[in-house]
Amino acid sequence: MKGRLKGAQKGHSLLKKKADALQLKFRSILKKIIDTKQTMGEIMKEASFSLAEAKFATGDFNHAVLQNVNKAQIKVKTRKDNVAGVNLPIFESYQDGADSYELAGLAKGGQQLKKLKVNFGNAINLLVELASLQTSFVTLDEVIKITNRRVNAIEHVIIPKIERTLAYIISELDELEREEFYRLKKVQDKKKKIAKEKAALHAERKARGLDQGDGGPGESIFDEEHDEDLLF
Amino acid sequence: MKEMMYYNINDGYPESIVRGYRRSLLTSSQYGTLTQSETLDDIKLQLSATDYGNFLQNEPPPLTTGVIADRLTERLVSEFNYLRRNSVDPLSKFLEYVTYQYFIDNVILLISGTLHERDPADLLHKAHPLGVFESMPALSVASNVQELYNIVLVETPLADYFRGCLTGHDLDEMNIEVIRNTLHKAYLEDFYDFCVNDLGGTTGVVMKELLEFEADRRIINITINSFGTELSKEDRLRLYPRCGKLSRESPAKLSAMNDIDAVKAVCDNYGEYQHLFRDMNRSERTLEDRFFEQEVRLNLLSFHQQFHYGIYYSWLKLKEQEIRNIVWISECIQQQQKERISDFVPTL
Repeated sequence: MKGRLKGAQKGHSLLKKKADALQLKFRSILKKIIDTKQTMGEIMKEASFSLAEAKFATGDFNHAVLQNVNKAQIKVKTRKDNVAGVNLPIFESYQDGADSYELAGLAKGGQQLKKLKVNFGNAINLLVELASLQTSFVTLDEVIKITNRRVNAIEHVIIPKIERTLAYIISELDELEREEFYRLKKVQDKKKKIAKEKAALHAERKARGLDQGDGGPGESIFDEEHDEDLLF
Repeated sequence: MKEMMYYNINDGYPESIVRGYRRSLLTSSQYGTLTQSETLDDIKLQLSATDYGNFLQNEPPPLTTGVIADRLTERLVSEFNYLRRNSVDPLSKFLEYVTYQYFIDNVILLISGTLHERDPADLLHKAHPLGVFESMPALSVASNVQELYNIVLVETPLADYFRGCLTGHDLDEMNIEVIRNTLHKAYLEDFYDFCVNDLGGTTGVVMKELLEFEADRRIINITINSFGTELSKEDRLRLYPRCGKLSRESPAKLSAMNDIDAVKAVCDNYGEYQHLFRDMNRSERTLEDRFFEQEVRLNLLSFHQQFHYGIYYSWLKLKEQEIRNIVWISECIQQQQKERISDFVPTL
């Protein structure tokens, strides 16, 4: 029983440590998310402004670009990151293949289009980063809730239960001991009484017994011989 | 002399219309009030005081810059078509030449759309209205570029451009942008030829100036924008129109331009282009802006002469610049980027 209590307490402290570490990581991710979102706002603003600039210089290139789309140029791959035992997915973007719009705006507006491509590329990278931060945020949130639930359960349910059981056992044992003690005492008292009576009887007999002598037929082996009680 | 006598018989009416249109271009004070606007509805209000009138009246709110741009272009197209309807040869041929530019853009759009199997009705929707031609819906029937050429393009005026500079093999392999620029080069040279040799006279003189500038602008732009891309030197040389001032330089010199300084050095020989590269690092105006400014200057000058067709071309370009300016101002206001709002090129 004591072993169980010890085990529960150790588990509790370990889990608490895990919860604290996760909480720390959680807060840092939250901060990063806030920063990234703010940067996102600025970058999107810059990107849409450079779109306006490019439109001014090149004319309407929207349709030409849309028609020439065939496959994605930026792809995302996932990686698993381990934080205090929790697997968090991290997204990384990489460029697949050459830039198929290299020659767009060749005759006019090339510079603005290049700037536009760079700006929107930055926006995409930031978006991917934000995506991984948000998924880790959500996953971490779940795990922290679970861990905290476990910590609280151990703290408020398991350990008191074990302690109560322990206390109960101890109290029972004490009571048993007391009962035994009492019994023993009672038996001893009875023994004393019987011995006293016997002694009194014996004395009386002795006083009367001058004519009966010792060893009357009283003492036979059938007289109860008080064995000493076996006290376990 | 002959011009003065015979011009007004056929072309007097369109000329008066076009000069009227030119007078109604926005002035710098009107641009000034536009830049003071706080919202797009203010812009709508300001524009209703100009020649545009209530062209945005029936638009459902909220007003976006895309809607404004579309309506402005619609206005331009209707005015241009009015001029076309009221013209006879050779003015009508001239105006047709002017539309070939949009024609080329539409054809490229349809080619790339067909190559990637897009919905044809959608593509037709996105085509520029000034470049529409009859057999356009038939373009989507073809499934590769060769077929496209053989079925449809062979009947259009663009056939010569295709034939002159691209072979069937080239069409399939080349990047769509290279095709576009090759067509444009052929178009410019053809137009130049038409103006200088067929029309001659004042038109020839005025258009020569304008088209030479356009050709040189393309040469400079293609050169600068192709630094660091996969476009090889020979391909680049093939994209240079031959009707510009710069194209008279030796090919060796042209292909030796490998960075901005080399381009600058070559342009220093020409007085008009020197100032384009001056103060490149310190000034806020980019090269594109300076090209626009120069273009506007040349176009305005063409109105000082009479009895020539250059005014139609110039008016179209100026009107386009005005549309770009208005859209720029609207975008700046919508995105709350007031610092850059004066970066447009005023037309008056």
